[in-house]
Amino acid sequence: MTGASTRPVTLLIAALGGEGGGVLTNWIVNAAQAVGLPVQATSIPGVAQRTGATTYYIEIWPDSLETLGGRELVLALSPIPGEVDIMAASELLEAGRAIQSGLVTPERTFLISSTHRVYTTAEKMKPDDGRFDVADLLRAARNRSRENLLLDLEGIARESGAHMNSVLLGLIAASGKLPFGEDSLRAGIRSEGKASDANLRGFEAGISAGRARLATRVPGATGGEGKSTVDELLDRVRTDYPDAPRQELEHAVRRLTDYQDSAYAELYLERLVPFRQAAPEVLASVARHLAVRMSYEDIIRVAQAKIRPGRFRAIRAETGAGADEPVAVTEFFKPGLNEICDILPVGLARRLLKRAESRPDQQAFKMSMLLRTTTVWGFFRLRMLAGIRRWRRSTFRFQQEQIAIESWLDEIRQAASTNARLAVEIAECARLIKGYGATHARGTDSFRRNKEALINPSSGDTVS
Amino acid sequence: MSTERSFAREVKSLRLGAGETFYGEGILAVTKGLLQAGVAYVGGYQGAPVSHLLDVLVDARELMDEMGIHVETCANEAAAGAMLGASINYPLRGAVTWKSIVGTNVAADALSNLSSPGVMGGALIIVGEDYGEGASVIQERTLAMAMKSGMWLFDPRPSLPNIVDMVEHGFALSEASNAPVMMQLRIRACHLQGSFTARDNRHPVVNTHDRLAEPATFNYSHLAHPPVTFVQEKLKVTERLPAAQTYIREHGLNEIFPGDLKRIGIIVQGGLYNTLIRRLVGLGLADQFGACRIPLLVLNVVHPLADGEIREFCDGKEAVLVLEEGNPEYIEFQINTILRRAGLPTRIHGKDVMPVAGEYTAVAIQEGLSAFLEAVTPSGLDLGEVRKAQTRMLEVREGAAAALPMDLPPRPPIFCTGCPERPVFSAIKLLESDIGKVHISADIGCHALATFEPFSMGNSILGYGMSLASAAAVAPFQQKRSLSIMGDGGFWHNGLATGVIGTLLNEGDSILIIMENGYSSATGQQYIPSSAAGKGGRAPGMEIQSTLEALGVPWLRRVRTYSVSEMMAAIKEALNTPTAGLKVIIADGECQLARQRRLRDEVAGRLSRGERVVTPRFGVDSELCTGDHACIRLSGCPSLTLAPNPDPLRDDPVTEVNNACVGCGLCGEVAHAASLCPSFYRAERTQNPSRTERLTNRFRRAVIGWMQPDGERPL
Repeated sequence: MTGASTRPVTLLIAALGGEGGGVLTNWIVNAAQAVGLPVQATSIPGVAQRTGATTYYIEIWPDSLETLGGRELVLALSPIPGEVDIMAASELLEAGRAIQSGLVTPERTFLISSTHRVYTTAEKMKPDDGRFDVADLLRAARNRSRENLLLDLEGIARESGAHMNSVLLGLIAASGKLPFGEDSLRAGIRSEGKASDANLRGFEAGISAGRARLATRVPGATGGEGKSTVDELLDRVRTDYPDAPRQELEHAVRRLTDYQDSAYAELYLERLVPFRQAAPEVLASVARHLAVRMSYEDIIRVAQAKIRPGRFRAIRAETGAGADEPVAVTEFFKPGLNEICDILPVGLARRLLKRAESRPDQQAFKMSMLLRTTTVWGFFRLRMLAGIRRWRRSTFRFQQEQIAIESWLDEIRQAASTNARLAVEIAECARLIKGYGATHARGTDSFRRNKEALINPSSGDTVS
Repeated sequence: MSTERSFAREVKSLRLGAGETFYGEGILAVTKGLLQAGVAYVGGYQGAPVSHLLDVLVDARELMDEMGIHVETCANEAAAGAMLGASINYPLRGAVTWKSIVGTNVAADALSNLSSPGVMGGALIIVGEDYGEGASVIQERTLAMAMKSGMWLFDPRPSLPNIVDMVEHGFALSEASNAPVMMQLRIRACHLQGSFTARDNRHPVVNTHDRLAEPATFNYSHLAHPPVTFVQEKLKVTERLPAAQTYIREHGLNEIFPGDLKRIGIIVQGGLYNTLIRRLVGLGLADQFGACRIPLLVLNVVHPLADGEIREFCDGKEAVLVLEEGNPEYIEFQINTILRRAGLPTRIHGKDVMPVAGEYTAVAIQEGLSAFLEAVTPSGLDLGEVRKAQTRMLEVREGAAAALPMDLPPRPPIFCTGCPERPVFSAIKLLESDIGKVHISADIGCHALATFEPFSMGNSILGYGMSLASAAAVAPFQQKRSLSIMGDGGFWHNGLATGVIGTLLNEGDSILIIMENGYSSATGQQYIPSSAAGKGGRAPGMEIQSTLEALGVPWLRRVRTYSVSEMMAAIKEALNTPTAGLKVIIADGECQLARQRRLRDEVAGRLSRGERVVTPRFGVDSELCTGDHACIRLSGCPSLTLAPNPDPLRDDPVTEVNNACVGCGLCGEVAHAASLCPSFYRAERTQNPSRTERLTNRFRRAVIGWMQPDGERPL
């Protein structure tokens, strides 16, 4: 056999620290060495090897060592833009990073990527929704690759009870781009030793998921223009044909009945009547935010949610507890003076709040409670708190909220008659009000500032 | 020794004999090379990317004892550098290792004092050149340090057989020229997986079994002390340098590859060779086996240069490109000087066509090559091919940029799930609403991850164990006291002397928080002097607390890190107490990675014996979470993540605790300390419960089921 190859097969793996990218690299190196192919691998394991982005790079010469006739190959230590054959990413944003650096190219690269996201701190810490738009990443993944396998690696791993790195190896095998067969990879897994049963299970799950996906692909329909996937179609439907709010309205009615009673849900529908003739986007926005505002968070609602039967079932399932194994659930409560006054009768709450005005210690008061919901006494206390619902209409917070809601609706109504966009903006401001305690106070404050800066002058204009 | 990784398999391959094939990582190939070269003693200080060199030797204690090799895990790099002093008076081959440039800086005093008298036994320093992609330290090159002290520096072509050969040449060169030799390995070279044909290990002649009967005789010229220092300065240039140059040329340490374009040439640092060849392949000027149209001089030794070799290579060439990373371009300066003195007209290109700073990546080298070839337009070369390749590279990069034109969210490393250091920064962040911001002197170690989001804390980093010392002149000018953060690794490495003792001596009014997690965690959880004794047999269990008490620290608290409110109270007290002088808070919490590894085995054992095991984890009631993410801003735990809002009336994603949760409790603590929200809960599963527990459980579930509301159906 003479060596006819002129270039190595190049493989770049992007993973997050702790996901086992190093082991995945070892499996491939083991397999190549076992069949006598020259192989070189190296890595940038990332600072502290913890959770940051890491990359592994492998070059495999497709002809056996003997064909080299003693000549030494020069294999590269880092991936080169335009010269990567297989790019395998364990997470979608990391695939995006490789695409952005030119390491995935339409002429050459088979892109394998998980479609699941592990959010970065920067995305998670935004007070609203800081998540990077996945549609952009998927579009780039399809357009910039020669072929691709985009699958939910985390899902496959969970179902097969294996780690993601073994599933990713299965997908790499399914691509058919490695210069050796899948049996060599199985042997590669075994020779690495540890937990090889689970890893083989993940590997097989990866291969079959990859094969199944590639089989459904229309031959020749790879790369470039004219591809439409379910995801993109769904996106189009969502932007071009917004849902009639019927579904949301149904949800709102059920939620408000649960929150208070059917009369309260009826009040919700009455409050919506004036918007029936308004522009559809105004109606949709008011319908959503009104339901959320009317079901504001207070201790009663928290208690109600904490004692739902479905909740204990879900928590037991999460911990994986067997039928006769106790699961103890502890709640962290720390209501302040404001939250307590929220559920007191109006007169009493006013007096307490007024007295606290001159008493900073009372303002800073927090009732610290660690409550065991799985004990009889703990559950009973929450049950009692949830029962206050009956008297909610006479509580201080309820009255305050109804006044605020009415004035907000009033402003939207006025705007809607002349300027639908402004009406939607005002309705959407309600998004700012959320959370508990200090967070809620901050949100309410932003709402007020927005209102002063935006709503008041604007509505003035529309009136005049 | 590392608790993170076991090197059982690698230890076995250290015993391979002549003709057998060694498979493994670059840094472990170096370890095998040391044994083949008859090393007598090895030491070092851990740090990526060379930690494994020492870790594997510590794990290979049996083999080391057998061969009579002494292995030392040094207290810091200065100690490792000083250890080479054994080679001044004795025919002992010694090797030490650390992360450079930082480790070389710490060792600089010892290295200067070693280099001046010079060595009798071979002294080899293996440095992990932490430069370019993936580096975690300041970007400086080791070359400057080697040059100023008169140590020789290898930068081997990254192929395992070559690296191993260079290890053996390193000792021989050191002995032939009486100078210490450094060998730098870049990050990717350390982690390079490859193979080489092994040789037999060589037992050192003088070893821990066959000891010397007498100490060396007194010889003043072996001392780094005047007046011989003046003589030694000259010796470095008049005797050791020529001896080294002779050895380098006689043994062909640098490699010359011929090419048909004889009017030009490239001189390249060995470490960059593979990237260069691959770019030449891309430009159609070389093949995969390194046959190249342009003549190459590959410098496996970047200091010293052999003047004759440079002259001969450049003679008759119009222009030569020098590929030398970093700044200043010392090699390029020297080559220019050598050629000008010899009256050779060859033009030298280098930093005029290459990036003035930063790593020479494939893209940088291709661009530099094409600029060089355009500038010299060598006869016999069709530039069309080069231009085509260059256009293609541009197209690839433009296409890539157009596909995703926006900035992608960065993913810096963060504290592990359940890390005991995270709560300390949560506490400091929570205190900010009360006392405002304070000056924070950061340090090297896992805790430096607090400089990233969501904490973004730290005003300066001055080196490992240097935080408190770096606050010395900050504190006197601040109205509020300043905080210094230090790890236990940094404390023993340097912080005790430079920080604590210095502050006590000067009655500095400063606050030091020591993260006592029990290991040198960032580098792979090696044991440190204060690691709990008895684990792994090597940790001596010296105590930070009693050390500080003995020194007379006037204000000392020990706080469990996960108690956020106690931590807040302690920091607040330290900031406000009338007690003058140094205030130290020991933040006590074992490295969670190490703890989980330990617990996994313990728990599995207890379960198999049918013993009771309680497993905590945390959760968020998605119905109650309003999607504000304040909890994430105060924690940043990887297991605290986002999930789509189950409520169709809300858009913003809710917080979710994923399965990685180890139940450290910080999220609950933070939510509680900050009065954030009541949606967190802790669920504790009891496996193998006692009879009483089972009965109580049944009773409770029955009563609660009876109390459960029917009318309130979940949505």
